[in-house]
Amino acid sequence: MEDYEAQEQEFWRKLEEGEMSRSQMLKRSVAAAAGLTVLGSTGAAFAARGAAGAAPPLKGNSISLKELIAEAKKEGHLNTIALPPDWANYGEMMSTFQKKYGLAITNDNPDGSSAQENQAITSLKGDPRAPDVVDVGPSFAVAGAAAGLYGKYFPSEFSTIPRAMKDTRGLWYGDYWGAISIGYNQNLISTPPTTWKDLLKPDYKGKVALNGSPLQSNSAVSGVIAASLANGGSLADVGPGIDFFASLKKSGNFIPVQTTSATVASGQTPISIDWDYNNLAYVTEFPAARWKVTIPADGVYGGYYAQAINAAAPHPWSARLWEEFVYSDQGQLLYLKGFAHPARFNDLANRKKIPSSLLNALPSPALYAKAKFASLGQQSAAKAKIATDWTAKVGA
Amino acid sequence: MAPSAVFWLLLGGLYFFIPLLTTLLFSLKSNQTGKCCTAANYSWVIHNGEFWHTLKISFLLALETIAVSLAIFVPTIYWVHLKVPKLRPVLAFLALIPFVVPPIVMVVGLLKFYKGSPSWFYGQPWGFLAGAYVILAFPYMFFSLDAGFRSIDVHTLTEASQSLGARWPTTLFKVILPNIRAAALAGSFLALAIVMGEYTIANLAAFHTFPIFIQYVNETQGFPAGALTLLSFGITWAAMASLLLVGRTRGRRAAVLTGAR
Amino acid sequence: MAWIATVPFFAYALFFLFLPAASVLIGAFQKEASGYTLDNVRELFHHPYIDAYWGSIKLSLITAALGGVVGLFIAYAALREGTPKWIRGALTTFSGVAANFGGIPLAFAFIATLGPLGVLTVFLKNQLHFDLSAHGFSLFSMTGIGLAYLYFQLPLMILVIAPAIDGVRKEWREASANLGASQLQFWRYVGIPVLMPSILGAIILLFGNAFAAYATAYGINSGANLITIFIGSYYSGNVLNNPHLAQAMAFGMFIVLGLMMLIYIPLQRRAARWAK
Repeated sequence: MEDYEAQEQEFWRKLEEGEMSRSQMLKRSVAAAAGLTVLGSTGAAFAARGAAGAAPPLKGNSISLKELIAEAKKEGHLNTIALPPDWANYGEMMSTFQKKYGLAITNDNPDGSSAQENQAITSLKGDPRAPDVVDVGPSFAVAGAAAGLYGKYFPSEFSTIPRAMKDTRGLWYGDYWGAISIGYNQNLISTPPTTWKDLLKPDYKGKVALNGSPLQSNSAVSGVIAASLANGGSLADVGPGIDFFASLKKSGNFIPVQTTSATVASGQTPISIDWDYNNLAYVTEFPAARWKVTIPADGVYGGYYAQAINAAAPHPWSARLWEEFVYSDQGQLLYLKGFAHPARFNDLANRKKIPSSLLNALPSPALYAKAKFASLGQQSAAKAKIATDWTAKVGA
Repeated sequence: MAPSAVFWLLLGGLYFFIPLLTTLLFSLKSNQTGKCCTAANYSWVIHNGEFWHTLKISFLLALETIAVSLAIFVPTIYWVHLKVPKLRPVLAFLALIPFVVPPIVMVVGLLKFYKGSPSWFYGQPWGFLAGAYVILAFPYMFFSLDAGFRSIDVHTLTEASQSLGARWPTTLFKVILPNIRAAALAGSFLALAIVMGEYTIANLAAFHTFPIFIQYVNETQGFPAGALTLLSFGITWAAMASLLLVGRTRGRRAAVLTGAR
Repeated sequence: MAWIATVPFFAYALFFLFLPAASVLIGAFQKEASGYTLDNVRELFHHPYIDAYWGSIKLSLITAALGGVVGLFIAYAALREGTPKWIRGALTTFSGVAANFGGIPLAFAFIATLGPLGVLTVFLKNQLHFDLSAHGFSLFSMTGIGLAYLYFQLPLMILVIAPAIDGVRKEWREASANLGASQLQFWRYVGIPVLMPSILGAIILLFGNAFAAYATAYGINSGANLITIFIGSYYSGNVLNNPHLAQAMAFGMFIVLGLMMLIYIPLQRRAARWAK
């Protein structure tokens, strides 16, 4: 009985958004006529039971925080996915949330990719282990929205999130951004690299690494685009970036090893091209490596990630409480503590809410002001070009 | 000992131990100074609750996988060798399929297919995950058991046993099994190692097993990753050794009973 | 009717192997929206996919052959008479662990040993004045990755071939010596032919094992020219997103392995004529 209710809600939601195709509607009426419903696991019944209570709100403003907390406490749990504790300070974000609201968080697959997050929403649908909220790259946010994976919600602070970083229908919203940086191990690097061109120096033979392959890692793609900006390319043309890495490989400077905590700590990747928040986190995490970070002035590239709520979240109220927390001043400053620029940075700066200690821990704002952000179209074009050219020019 | 034997064993020994030695050196370094020697990394692993919790889950999962695998595969391969040899190439071909469909893609098929199943099966590692691991272990089990069955004279043993009045279960357990003990053990070792090392399916199906913990530590911790690698290597090796001892004592008794050569 | 007893096995295989595998293979022919298409499979014949297949096949063949031969020698060295008994137990248990020691821990161990700043590399360069990279060796090349692959190929061979080596009876060697045959002649006319079906089976297993390997290769060289790395990129990466193309690649792997089986079966039949 309760499965049926959950499916009804889903049906009306899809109909409202005009996402249901004619064939789907026909299928549905036939199924209803034959008295069939989808195989229900006890998990689906559980989720439906939750949804059959008060319907979670569309807008954060329409409900008091106290009410939201009370309903979330009834659910008692939050499922997150793919949030590494040392990425943009998610570790502290999650522990603060748990302590503040008394809700336990289960963080699944901490090193998962955005694709896996969207896949988990689909494959674990109806299971109480499905993720409630996701943090995905922009192209995956758009893909997820198009596939109907996300539920609509407007966090209270939605209006202060930059227009370029959110979906106006409330399906996803940017949470933080960073710029591509060069981190290096001072024990093994005597002359610090300050620009992209520096990386070609013979001193760095066998020492330069990316955070993965540009065919798999968003950070690596962004590194290639940043290199392109520094070598005569543009946001629309990533070719010079690929060529740059090709010459880096030819000179033996580039090593195709993915930087991980272990490679940074052990010194196997003495120079790492990665998001600033990752590189800056290594400084305090691995004192033995004497890690230092610089943002190369000749090519500054920025990228953001986006939050979204699972349309079929097992804990919809907790999910919304999480979003409220992430976009609160406290949550946004936690990102900044993790060296990532929160989405509401400008709003917080204007209201003078940012402690100078946090600002001082970051590289100079002048560098960040130069950051260029690629549009979704430009990102797709860059990825397509990398997909065809990278392995031949840099890979094998 | 023959000189050629010494050469090959020495070569193998060097090749296998040098990377482990490197990992050991790495695991003894301190996070503060980057130099040797400290036990802090090992201490971090051993005092980590998740380490013990996930280790227990993976062990039980491994035992379950071995039990189910042997229960299904031994009788089947025995039967095929004995009565239906024409099916052998079919089985051999099937044994390659788990390789062909890479785990990363297979798990999606499994998740799609079993989404509607009851949560005692789908939501628990003992059901869904064990089922998948038995299939993953199948190629290794098959080729081990197949080699084992080839090396004994299945027909003679069976006929002799039956002419002495034994029925099928007796023949299988008391005559055949002791003779393919080595092969069954080899297959079990591989199944154990598979479960202790399988990451992709457990990860995408959102279970928290030991390999998941290892991957997590490898990605987020520095020097403790080396400590964990060696600890997990050592623990799995110890598990194998105990399997060997169990198989040996049982086998010895059974061999005496059958009065084998 | 004798095949009835194999039904439990086939039923299990149906539910945990065929049906999930089939849903993936069907996905190879589907489009993002609904509908079927051959485009994904057609793509596979173009660069860079066809290169990736070739790279994977070469790497798998070489590590299977090398792993097979060296594994056979090591296994025989441990199992023959004259070798202390404890070596067998130690080797088989160690092989059991090493056969599944892969992925990031193995990749890291090799990078830390033979990478540009690896312990062994530095030792060879500073103490023995032997520069690996000057001699053309790079851990990140297919050679280097293959060297790491052997870490799980060799143990697999050892484990699978050991029971078969046990089956080469001491009595046969004694009989052959009595008839005046030398060691070499024994192996050439009796030993190897008897072992051949198992050796072939083991090598096919090694090929499949290497062909499907992913995590180790990615850990050493995230941009390696291997089909499994491509599948990972298209299926679950953070950049590309084309699950149907990935499933088509899996379908291609299926075809490659099917072809290997077609080569294996007649070879097997020839080799097995010594049995029974």
